[in-house]
Amino acid sequence: MFKKVLVANRGEIAVQIIRALHDMNIEAVAVYSSADKESLFVHLADEAICIGGAQPSDSYLNMAQIMSAATLTGCEAIHPGYGFLSENAEFAEMCESCHIQFIGPSHQLISLMGDKANAREAMKSAGVPVIPGSEGDVTSVDQAERIAEKIGFPVLLKSAAGGGGKGIREVDRPEELRDSFEQCQREAKASFGDDSMYVEKLIRDAKHVEMQVIADNFGHVVYLPERDCSLQRNHQKVIEESPCILISPEERQELGEIVAKATLKLGYTNTGTYEFLMDHDHHFYFMEMNTRLQVEHTITEEVTGIELVKGQLAVAANEVLPFVQADATVKGHALECRLNAEDPENNFAPQPGKITHLFFPDGSLGVRIDAGVTNGSFISPFYDSMIAKLIVHLYDRNAVIAKMKRVLSELEITGVITNQAFLYELVTSDRFKQGTYSTSFIENDVLAGRRGLNAAKSV
Amino acid sequence: MLQSRFKMPSRDELKKRMDKIPDNLMKECPICHTTFFSMRMGKQRTCPNCGFGFRITARRRAKITFDTFDEMDADVTVPDQYDDKKYRGKIAKAKKVTGIKESVLTGIGSLDHQKVAAGIMDPFFIMGSLGSATGEKIVRLFEKATTEKLPVVMFTASGGARMQEGIKSLMQMAKVSQAVEAHSKAGLFYLVVLCDPTTGGVTASFAMQGDIILAESHALVGFAGRRVIEQTIMKQPPKNFQRAETVLDHGFIDAIVPRTNLKQTISQFLRLHQREASHG
Repeated sequence: MFKKVLVANRGEIAVQIIRALHDMNIEAVAVYSSADKESLFVHLADEAICIGGAQPSDSYLNMAQIMSAATLTGCEAIHPGYGFLSENAEFAEMCESCHIQFIGPSHQLISLMGDKANAREAMKSAGVPVIPGSEGDVTSVDQAERIAEKIGFPVLLKSAAGGGGKGIREVDRPEELRDSFEQCQREAKASFGDDSMYVEKLIRDAKHVEMQVIADNFGHVVYLPERDCSLQRNHQKVIEESPCILISPEERQELGEIVAKATLKLGYTNTGTYEFLMDHDHHFYFMEMNTRLQVEHTITEEVTGIELVKGQLAVAANEVLPFVQADATVKGHALECRLNAEDPENNFAPQPGKITHLFFPDGSLGVRIDAGVTNGSFISPFYDSMIAKLIVHLYDRNAVIAKMKRVLSELEITGVITNQAFLYELVTSDRFKQGTYSTSFIENDVLAGRRGLNAAKSV
Repeated sequence: MLQSRFKMPSRDELKKRMDKIPDNLMKECPICHTTFFSMRMGKQRTCPNCGFGFRITARRRAKITFDTFDEMDADVTVPDQYDDKKYRGKIAKAKKVTGIKESVLTGIGSLDHQKVAAGIMDPFFIMGSLGSATGEKIVRLFEKATTEKLPVVMFTASGGARMQEGIKSLMQMAKVSQAVEAHSKAGLFYLVVLCDPTTGGVTASFAMQGDIILAESHALVGFAGRRVIEQTIMKQPPKNFQRAETVLDHGFIDAIVPRTNLKQTISQFLRLHQREASHG
């Protein structure tokens, strides 16, 4: 096992990784930007190196600086967390050239999965069901029209290089295609410097179900129980739960075997997540693969009792996976709410600022709160606005929801506006309790209803 | 200044750690001053930020420019009569670095199904200097092109005449120029691409004889070097003096083409001139 590992991230995930390292008796080196000098993760690390200014491009995305810090401190490996450099094939390749282990899959697989069209082809040939759509990049409106006609409307236009909700448009009718395609292409060009597009069938009212795998270098693959991440706003996940209550144990096993087989076939190692859409008839359609740890890995840890960061470290250190498929069973139910510094009344605009008072209601069975902040911390405008992940795990889903409701009402945070009340509204809604909500629930039911209310008020 | 918190390793330990980082891992672009991971230069060896083309060997240039390339006169090399030990050492090293035996790689290439006689000078072979065997290889290329009625594409990159070969090196200017002239009189097309650096005797002869003269962005193009000029005129030349962009402004270059567009541009020129010939 490694003796010293650098954590190339910030906030709660840096805290979690540092804690896992310390649990394993490994020294942790933090790198931080000038905006994060007072952060919890900097205090927790054994060594901490300031790598640049507050702008991510100057610090957390600055590969040369991170590599220098790793070299100076003699780290054997780098954990990239999620976001920042975690899915950057170039950084993974740079680590390889410098004989530092990148804790994640090979750079070849990161780059394969980073290109949506290529990833889809690879998945198709590895036996994973995909959404009907274009073969290869689409560069002209005419081409897009031909494909849309073949697969049928509604369709989804996506930037081939995209992510994070940018460069995506839904098109319901043929006459809207031309305008949408051009807009989308412009947006993709501006955001990613690449305007190649991708057209696929739009699966409406679907569930976002994802399955995480972890594989070592010795041909062992373990798939983990699925997560239902359908509660999304603007393609950003808000609440996740595991397992998905609509999926039977047989379906779980079937899907698990498909992804485990594909993982082996691709030669994929370390952890990754296959994201699927599931329609009303329980057909699964592959969307994309995240080649990293995910924010919501916590609920999987809770329901399985498996610590995923430790698994990642074992794989990266060329050890055999410390658990087997039989360990990865569903034990109870877990729910995660993402507490963000954002204003739901103001189109969820980020709310940077100083936390003047903070009370986390932890300290009862099944409550886990992953946070990178403490009382007095500053929510920086330079990074994402997540404050904490509130996780509840118990044996029964109803008990989980009841406890989450209590946690959300007991939580106190002042100084910044948060989505606390919005989360409460979601968790206590009937549709959520039924568990049948789809990816359009927040947008079409919750927010649309709210807009209607506001309109009525103003009349 | 923020205080980082770490255990400073011993001098020996630090050296050991630093030795793990390969040389040239990062590169700085001399034009836009961006620092980047060398792998990002890709096959074309260009700056990922501004597109500046770094110097490349003739073999790499052949690979990125032509669909096929059949080398000619691969064994023509520096004559044995030059037996100065230091010079022989330089030649041996240059051969190893470039994988060719003289400072120019010549052959018959194809580009989008168009056959072309191509010469590519190698800036890593004693700075692409014009030796007597270099001249001989280029002359043979033009003669073959004239006989076979082929256009010539020449990539120049040279520090000028090769000092170690004295007057015989200077003579190559006249010798190659005559071969170019004969090719031209046969009504055939000659395209030059000035690469970084094109100077001295090469500029003063075949580099400026092209029907079309293109240049790579920011390439150094000149005759005498900056220092020589400074010492002669006792004045500081302007900042962008002898850069392709400045030379273009003064009318000596037809167009500057970034490396990534070069293949396509050359192909278009070849097609254009082929048609003209068939109508004429």
